[in-house]
Amino acid sequence: MTLTDTMPELTPAADRAAVPAKPELVLKSSEFRKGREAGWRELERLVDRVERRGVRALSLDELQRLPILYRAALSSLSVARTIALDRNLLLYLESLALRAFLAVYGLRANPLEGLRTFFGRDLPAAVRSARWHIVIAALCLVVGTVAGFMLTVQDEAWYTSFVPSGLADGRGPASTRADLLNNEIFAPWPGLVESFGLFANVLFSHNTMIGIMTFGLGMAAGVPTVMLSVYQGLPLGAMLAIHHNRDLTLDFVGWLTIHGVTELGALTLFAAGGLVIAEKILFPGRYSRIENLALHGRAAAQIAVGAVLMLFVAAILEGGFRQLIQSTPWRFAIGLGVGALWLAYFSLAGRERKP
Amino acid sequence: MSVAETASDRTAQFLEGVRRERRQIITPEGVPVTVDLADYGERLVAFMLDLVIWFLLTLAIYIPIIAAIAKTGGSLIAISIALFVGFVVRNMYFVYFELAWRGSTPGKRLVWLRVIDRAGGPLLPSAIVARNLTREVETFIPLGVLLTWGGMRGANWESLAIAVWLLFFAALPFINRDRMRGGDLIAGTMVISLPKRVLSSDIVEKTTQFTFTEQQLQAYGAFELQVLEELLRRPDSAETTRVLNEVCDKICRKIGWTAPLAPGEVVPFLREFYTAERGFLEREQLFGKVRADKYAQPTKAGG
Repeated sequence: MTLTDTMPELTPAADRAAVPAKPELVLKSSEFRKGREAGWRELERLVDRVERRGVRALSLDELQRLPILYRAALSSLSVARTIALDRNLLLYLESLALRAFLAVYGLRANPLEGLRTFFGRDLPAAVRSARWHIVIAALCLVVGTVAGFMLTVQDEAWYTSFVPSGLADGRGPASTRADLLNNEIFAPWPGLVESFGLFANVLFSHNTMIGIMTFGLGMAAGVPTVMLSVYQGLPLGAMLAIHHNRDLTLDFVGWLTIHGVTELGALTLFAAGGLVIAEKILFPGRYSRIENLALHGRAAAQIAVGAVLMLFVAAILEGGFRQLIQSTPWRFAIGLGVGALWLAYFSLAGRERKP
Repeated sequence: MSVAETASDRTAQFLEGVRRERRQIITPEGVPVTVDLADYGERLVAFMLDLVIWFLLTLAIYIPIIAAIAKTGGSLIAISIALFVGFVVRNMYFVYFELAWRGSTPGKRLVWLRVIDRAGGPLLPSAIVARNLTREVETFIPLGVLLTWGGMRGANWESLAIAVWLLFFAALPFINRDRMRGGDLIAGTMVISLPKRVLSSDIVEKTTQFTFTEQQLQAYGAFELQVLEELLRRPDSAETTRVLNEVCDKICRKIGWTAPLAPGEVVPFLREFYTAERGFLEREQLFGKVRADKYAQPTKAGG
């Protein structure tokens, strides 16, 4: 029960303290609105244009007006919250302030600048900070490869269960040494378009899909990431074993090295990114899991982007150059040379110089 | 959250039956701004729209390729370039639009959604990449599995693992309070609903014909005031007139207004009552005597 409920007999005539009895009723909130509305409308027009066409749509003058109007709108919002009960006004200011906030502090889109800091500093730094994850991911791959090799070298029947038929491409326990030499390792170069265009494309798409999957599955606490890494090693080991049994180890490794260093490096990076995410989920440390994930997830994503680029290079090497270069020593030289470049880039680029 | 905002939430719930989840972001200027979390339905619709647009884009790229192959037997260079472009479109659609459109995609824009940084900072390109790289695992692969579900029978362990996977990612937005999917989690982002609001004209009356006493104005609080505001802002119709008449009767009974009102006077009377009530409540609020609704006890016994 409120006080007023107890006095229903009151009539307008029987008032003691009437609210302004003068004919002009002036509300503070209305006056407040009248004084500032023009500024809000101007800000709204600017924000509209930024949302539709980006900051570039604004002239220099308008660019200077934007933050001023934005701060004015923020202060209007603060005032309105304390003095106004006009719902429409409050909702409008709330939404305008937020939209202006996003326009002023939103994404800074300068593509060139962004690219330079990404490649010059962010990417190598992210990779360096994940070195232990990279080591673990690489170990998983090695374990898979060794297991695949050990099993297949003794019994080539394992080959069919490790290597999917799409990847085997006709090679298998039935292949002879000459088959492998002529149709695989030193198969003729299929020509410019075929190799650079189609083959490299298919390779890149396929590998990227697998890599992104390895990365994304880091969210499932990393178990699938580790499994996928080991699993990728198995066919590698199995194929190595097949060639080993036919006394082609060196030539095969050369054939693999030219693109494999880059490709396997990229797959390792994907897995390392996934492991970073998994680690932050499993061992959040002093922050909450969600905060911790937000802090490190972006670095992990940067690693994955770096890996996509490596895959692109790998696809060109594999699709275009592998069959063009028909000599094992040269294949080793190119593969290892490119690998050394990656290593130098990731470990040296963008380091702060020590005084 | 101020009284006015709480009241405005309650008004929305009372009149439209919707309740928005809200979060606050503190701007660098130190002013808290309220954001509305996007609904699951809105996000699903936005994603579906994006899928359709994405599909059409991909078709638009692949159809000329197929036509070219059919006609000439293929200018291989053109084909390979187009293949690459197709791949890029397929994978970069979301990243591109969220970068270029500041956290929005065509689908999101149609239903007024935006991606923002959860802590109120700028939306970094790396965050956009992070939240979209995981899309593959979260949606596309499970979708693919669902589409080919009929094809796989028997393999029980496999189906079980896939079902768990699907459930895990599908359930993720439902089990955290900010409705983040996996990508939002690792990128530190969230999706908000940000419709454009229109500033309508003020509905306070300048001149007064009726006068109300302080006791009469004490009958209501901010919540009732804002409901009345919404009703007065409704477009004219038979239904609106009926509701307004009903409301007018209730108010008259509550404040003990006995003088008869002509049918044409209902709207002016309500507008004036709204003006007087708002003036009164705003003044009281300035003195620290906030009244949320009609049930709230006056903070100080007066009148």
